[in-house]
Amino acid sequence: MTRQPGFSRRQVLKTAAGVAAGAATMNFAQRMAQAQSPELNMWWWGEQELPGLQSYVDDSVKGYTAATVKPMLQDTAVVISQFQTAAAAGKAPDIQFLWNGIYHMESVWLGYLRPLDGLIPDDIIKASNPTLLSRFGGKTYRVGWYPLPMIWIYNKDLFDKAGLDADNPPKTWDEFLNACDKMKAAGIAPVGGGIQDGYWGEWYFGHALAQNVDSAGEVIQLFTGERDFRDPKYHEHWVKLEELKKKDFLNSEMPSTDLYSGIDLIVAGKVGAGLSIASRLPKDSKTTNGRIGTMVMPVYGKGKLAGRPIFDSQGLGISAGSTNPEAAAKFLEYLQSADRLKAMYDKTGWIPSSTNFDVSVIEDPAVRDMWQKWGLSPNIPYLSNLVPGQFYEQALLPTAQQVIGGKITGAEAGDLAADVAKQWRDFNPDVVENYKKWAADLGG
Amino acid sequence: MHSSRITPYLYVAPLVALLLFVFGYPLVRIFEFSFKMVRGIDGPWIGFRNYELVLTQSLFWESVLHNIYLLLAVPFMVGWSLIISVILYERLKGWRLYRIVLFLPYILAIPIIAVIVKKMFQFNGPVNEVLRWIGFDFLALDWIGSSDVALWTVMLLIIWRESALGIILFLARLLSLDESLIESAKIEGANWWQRLWFVIVPQMKIVIEFYIVVSVITILSAVFAYVFVIGGGRGGPGTSTMVVEFYIFNALIRSSLPGIASAVSVMLFLVSLLLIVPLFAIRRRANEEEVR
Repeated sequence: MTRQPGFSRRQVLKTAAGVAAGAATMNFAQRMAQAQSPELNMWWWGEQELPGLQSYVDDSVKGYTAATVKPMLQDTAVVISQFQTAAAAGKAPDIQFLWNGIYHMESVWLGYLRPLDGLIPDDIIKASNPTLLSRFGGKTYRVGWYPLPMIWIYNKDLFDKAGLDADNPPKTWDEFLNACDKMKAAGIAPVGGGIQDGYWGEWYFGHALAQNVDSAGEVIQLFTGERDFRDPKYHEHWVKLEELKKKDFLNSEMPSTDLYSGIDLIVAGKVGAGLSIASRLPKDSKTTNGRIGTMVMPVYGKGKLAGRPIFDSQGLGISAGSTNPEAAAKFLEYLQSADRLKAMYDKTGWIPSSTNFDVSVIEDPAVRDMWQKWGLSPNIPYLSNLVPGQFYEQALLPTAQQVIGGKITGAEAGDLAADVAKQWRDFNPDVVENYKKWAADLGG
Repeated sequence: MHSSRITPYLYVAPLVALLLFVFGYPLVRIFEFSFKMVRGIDGPWIGFRNYELVLTQSLFWESVLHNIYLLLAVPFMVGWSLIISVILYERLKGWRLYRIVLFLPYILAIPIIAVIVKKMFQFNGPVNEVLRWIGFDFLALDWIGSSDVALWTVMLLIIWRESALGIILFLARLLSLDESLIESAKIEGANWWQRLWFVIVPQMKIVIEFYIVVSVITILSAVFAYVFVIGGGRGGPGTSTMVVEFYIFNALIRSSLPGIASAVSVMLFLVSLLLIVPLFAIRRRANEEEVR
């Protein structure tokens, strides 16, 4: 009898046993590896505003051996909603990118975020400057990632042309109006930018409302109803904007120009001064050969926060649903190591949010000086991050546009803001209570 | 046989189930959310409170008013489409090329068109530069930066783009008309306007009605992209280009108020439904006429 070609029953059994043993061994090895190297999901955002961050994240993840980190870049429109939906379904990532203030505080109130106290050493959290707006109930929910100092900039060449001292920008409102007069006389649009997309109004509010308040908590009370935008000191910033409009100091194309194109006008020498964000400074300074100066908003108010540099930071937090918060905390701690801070600067050309960052590597003196003043000196948080979404859309952005468009006065802007704040309370009775508690953390 | 009666229903059942899941389930949830104060993905039942809040808010009514203003575009769209399609129908030299050029806006994505238009209509942009150059300074308006003008700029853009559909629809109908009627009118001495008004338009009544209903629905519930780009992503300047769709978007995405967004969506849905009913009636009538 001839044997059929192929496997004998014994061979099949031996092979199957071998495969099963191999699979079991691999499974065991995998489980051991997982036990030793936990898996972390990280949903992040930022490449959109800080090109190079993707490369930095990839590099950081690759070089981290204590856990397997799976990063996922999120779209701007869904950063908050996607996280909240996932958290509600019990599928939130371990690490989540968090904008400051109300943009993550709602998730705190919904119980989707875990306090970082006790997970990450206090000195590291403090050095990262997540700012006061990350605190609720005495606990901190974010670690700073990269900073966004809010600045005023001016074109030094245009200051020279107008006979102004380009190394000593105006410090008071009167000095500023005087400088605007001189620029206007020299044929220069003194101040402005672009407000077509509305964001300029948000930045202006953050700078200018600070002039008449003593704490961030006081701003929250404007929304909870304990204070009122109709009080002149709380809408004086819009009256000052009206003053700039009436004196014809604002650039004529401001209403039809968007925010960043408006900043480009200052860099291009078409507008004297205006609002900007420090992450633009390295590029703008380079473009103008160091002829962009930085300053805080000229002071007119009497509040304790007036004339202080404004500091904001993007941050990262740990979800309440994370099954391994300790491992997530270790990764966030790793991102704050000296090596990673340097790597962020190398990959993005921008400073990481840490007072431990070695500033000697910053070559541009304008950037270095800015960081000394805004990042390493006493600063205040960015108050626009306290504004509820409804107020932001229906009052904060429209009022500035309408004042600049000459449709309403500064005082009428205060009335509109008070009305919308009341509507917000009617629409969100449950959130008002959380805001009141939050005010206590912010010195209200 | 009994089984044969239910067999067709069994065949369509999977598709019906799929449609119910894809369209029916979200619709039911939107109705449900409109009666809840939703936080995150759910919330407590609050009856008609969301409707009450929305209906007493001036911004909502301002948004409705802006939609109504935009409806003024419909007669212009119909008139413009009709005139252009008749001119093309008369086969002036190069009409095929003109037809493509006129339809081009309709196949381009709205954001692309709107971004280009936005650049063109900036205060110191090409349109105003040309107007100033030819001495029409008084017409060099702040097209997108002024709250008095921005909504009309949106309307101009809508007329320009949405008319392309009208032109193609009307031209298709014209090409199927009996030319002998038009020729007879010409021989009888009817001028261009008379031929248009007394011969062509009556024969195109159904397609014109269809286009009007489609345009009204578009303006009530599909102008988001126009407003988003021209209004600076905010329905601005101020709230001058805020429309109902944008109100819903802001409530849902930017104000974290899914309950409010749902209440307005329900109202918009019901209004659109009221308009879809005559659309179906028109289509039925058209089918009946075709059969005759």
